[in-house]
Amino acid sequence: MTSYRSFRRGFDSIQDIFAFTAEVFASEHIDPSLLPSVDLTVEELFTNMVKYTASTAAVRIDMTKVAGGVEVTLTDYDVEPFDVTQAPDVDINLPIEQRKPGGLGLHLIRRLVDCVRYEYSAESRQSRVIFRKTQLGAPTSDRGTVAGSADAHD
Amino acid sequence: MLTIDFGPNGVVVIAGRLDAAQAPTAQAFLDQVQGTVTLDCGRLEYISSAGLGVLLKTQKRLMGSAGKLRLSGVNRHLQDIFVYSGFDKIFEIEPAP
Repeated sequence: MTSYRSFRRGFDSIQDIFAFTAEVFASEHIDPSLLPSVDLTVEELFTNMVKYTASTAAVRIDMTKVAGGVEVTLTDYDVEPFDVTQAPDVDINLPIEQRKPGGLGLHLIRRLVDCVRYEYSAESRQSRVIFRKTQLGAPTSDRGTVAGSADAHD
Repeated sequence: MLTIDFGPNGVVVIAGRLDAAQAPTAQAFLDQVQGTVTLDCGRLEYISSAGLGVLLKTQKRLMGSAGKLRLSGVNRHLQDIFVYSGFDKIFEIEPAP
């Protein structure tokens, strides 16, 4: 079963998003140990949409229980394409003087979830980011699987 | 929600969730600390990149004046986040017992 809800575009929606993810985990009996990684990934993708798109439309979040975990889709409306899967990794070996916080969110989610996929419909101007987090499909390397089309930032 | 305040012996105690909405609160508090400071993370449940940015900015400022931020009581999930971010190389981290 898929549960979905739309959230007003703004940092003050984050609490409501966490309440929604916790509610779905509880009602669908999804392993609660997966929740922090799911919350972090949703927050990073949602705040990216808030910061980098000019749309005023609400962001829709769908959650579906899958074998051993959950699949989550964030849909952003009336936007230009922005493929989060193409964002470069952060160089974590830089000395502290050269470290900047930017880009860490997308760097992190590639390590926390099983896979991330990006889709864009030019006709409807919709971006969709789909990720999956399960007990079974954790990345075997230090990066998850990514797929999508070009045109990235952050 | 997030709380941050001084605990015993000058330790700063942070509890709850350090997300993008709460990061300004944490930053405002940590902007006031000086010297070498221990941040007790024993009740910190969650941190996102916005929270990591707060810690990084604070560490840069304190190291600029020969101080530093130490992180104690760090749970397993947070440890993973710190390792993936390379923060284990720029912070002294004491895991939760």
